[in-house]
Amino acid sequence: MKQLRLANSIIKMMIKDRIQYPARLIVDTFGIIARCGVLLILYRYVFRYQGGLIQGVTFQIVAWSMFLYFSFMTLRLRDLAKSIMQDIKTGTVEILLSKPIHYLNYRMWWQVGAGMYPFFVATFLGVVALFLTVGIPESMQSWFFVGTFFITFFFAGILSLLIYSAVGLLAFWIEDVKPLYWIVDKSVMILGGSYLPVALFPETMYKIAIFSPFGASQFITSTVYNTWKIDYLKLMGIQLFWIIVVGFIVVYIFNRAYKKVSVNGG
Amino acid sequence: MKPEIISVSNLTKNFTFFVKKQGAGFFTNIIKPEIKTISAVENISFSVEEGERIAFIGPNGAGKSTTIKMLTGILFPTSGKISVLGLNPSQERKKLAYQIGTVFGQRSQLFPNLPLTDSFEFFGVMYDLSKNEIENRTKELIEQFDLSSFKNQPVRKLSLGQRMRAEIATSLIHKPKIIFLDEPTIGLDIVAKKALRELLIKINREEKTTIFLTSHDVSDIEQLCERTIIINHGTIVKDLPTIELGKSFIHEKYVDIFLDTALDNFPDLPEGIKYVTKDKNKVTLSVDIANQSISDALQKILPYFSVLDIDVYSVELETVIREIYEATSSGK
Repeated sequence: MKQLRLANSIIKMMIKDRIQYPARLIVDTFGIIARCGVLLILYRYVFRYQGGLIQGVTFQIVAWSMFLYFSFMTLRLRDLAKSIMQDIKTGTVEILLSKPIHYLNYRMWWQVGAGMYPFFVATFLGVVALFLTVGIPESMQSWFFVGTFFITFFFAGILSLLIYSAVGLLAFWIEDVKPLYWIVDKSVMILGGSYLPVALFPETMYKIAIFSPFGASQFITSTVYNTWKIDYLKLMGIQLFWIIVVGFIVVYIFNRAYKKVSVNGG
Repeated sequence: MKPEIISVSNLTKNFTFFVKKQGAGFFTNIIKPEIKTISAVENISFSVEEGERIAFIGPNGAGKSTTIKMLTGILFPTSGKISVLGLNPSQERKKLAYQIGTVFGQRSQLFPNLPLTDSFEFFGVMYDLSKNEIENRTKELIEQFDLSSFKNQPVRKLSLGQRMRAEIATSLIHKPKIIFLDEPTIGLDIVAKKALRELLIKINREEKTTIFLTSHDVSDIEQLCERTIIINHGTIVKDLPTIELGKSFIHEKYVDIFLDTALDNFPDLPEGIKYVTKDKNKVTLSVDIANQSISDALQKILPYFSVLDIDVYSVELETVIREIYEATSSGK
C-alpha cells in the first residue's frame, strides 16, 4: 500500500513537472511524427509498388505496428539507464539511498512518471491521425486484441525497465555506460521493428527478434498482426521468461552494486 | 546522562580500485589488473548522546563524508561496528532512514521545477505520513524556517540561501531524531549562514534533534556545535568540547601595540615574546603563554615601547584547526 502511494506520488509529481515545459512536449510529439511519418510515407510507396501486400501483410497493419513502436518509445523507459548512470556519476545516488525507499523501484516509477504525459499526448494524436488516414485494421477490432494488448504492453514495460536498469547499474563498475547503452538500444530498435516491421524480417532474423529479450520488449508491435491470435501465448511466454531472467540479473547486479557504492567525497 | 544514540567502534572503510599497470598490455590490464586499496577511515571509535550538536571536521579527503555515509547506511563499512538509534545502518538502512534526516550541501533533493510545497508533500508521502500530518508539518516548517514568501515559487528560482533553508526544512518533515548535514553552508553568504545556524540551534532546542555536521567553515563549528571531532587521514585526532578546542591548543596570545611615536629600530624582546609584524606605527607580538602569564608578559613588553593603545587576543579557531591539520598531516 505504501509502495503504491509513493508510486502514485512520484507519477503525480513527474506529470506536474513535465507540464511545466509544454515546449518539450511539442518537441517530443514532433519527433515521433517526423520519424514515424517519414517511414510510413516510405512504406506506403513500397506497398503500393508491391501490389498492396508484402509477406501477407497490408500497409495498414504495418502502419499501426510501427506506430505502436514509436508510441511506446515516447514513454522513454530507455532513459532509465541514463538516469541511473547520472545518479552514480553525480553522486545523487547517495541522497536516494539515505531515504526509506528501494532505489531501483523509485527510479523505475520516476521513469514511468516522466514519460507518461508525452506518451498519452503523442499516442492520442497518433491514434487519431492513423484512424483518419489508414483506418483501423480488422485484427484490432476485438476485445481479444484489447485484452492481450494491455497484458503485452504491461510485460513490455516491465521488460524494458529491467533491461535498461541492468545497463544503468553497470555504471557502478564502468561509470560511463553510454557505449553499452547504444548497443542495447540499437538492438531494441532493430529487433523491436522500428525501421522494418518484424513480420517482414528474413526467417533467421525473425527468430532472433522473437527469442531475444530486445525483441520481446517490443512485442506490442506484434499485436496488430493477424498471426497474433495464434502466437500470442508463445510470445507472452517469451516475455515472461525474459522478465524472470533479466529480473534475477538486475536483482543480482543491484545487490552487488549497492555494496560497492562509492560516491564523490566518500 | 543522556542516552547514547550513535555508537561507533573500530570502524574502518577501505576503497579498492583497479590501476592500469604501466607497461602491461591491454589484455593483461583487463584479465589481471592491479588492485589498489586506500583506507578512507581507519579504526575510528566515538559515541554521540541524544541532543548533541557535533562538528565532524577535517581537511579534504580526511574521511568525514565517508563516515557520515556509513552512519546513514549509504556505504558499507569494511570492518567495525556502528549503531545508530539501536540499528545497524548497512543492514537496516530503510528502517533507520525513517528516523534520520540528511542534507548534502552540494546536492539538492527538491523538485527544481515545482513549488517547494510539492517537495514537502512528496517527502511526506515517502516517509509514510498521513495527509493531515503532511499538511500540519508543512505549515509548521514553513513558519519555523520562514519560507512562506517563496513557498509557491519553483525551487530553481530560489536563492542559494533560500534553497538551503528549504532543503533542511524538507529533511525535517518526518521529525527525525538525528540530522546529518554534509557542508550545509557551502556557498552561502554571511547573512544566510548565520540564519541557517540559528535555525539549526532552534530545531536542536525545540525538537531535541541531534545535529551531526561536517563543515569547512570555522564559524559553523564555533557558533553551532558544542563538540568537535577532528578526523585526518581516516583517524580521529581530536574529540573534545568546541570551547576547549581553542584553549587546549593555544599556547600563544597575540598583542597588537599601537605606537605613540613611530619606530625605526625595533628593540630585541625578552624570551618567549616574538615579533609577528613590524610597522612604524604598530607591532604585533606573539607571547608564549605556556611559561608565563599574559600579565607578566605585558609588564615585560611595555617598557620597550611608547604605547598609544594595546590589544590582546587569542589565536583564531581557524588557525588552531589549521595547526591541528598540519600537525597530524606531518605526523607530529
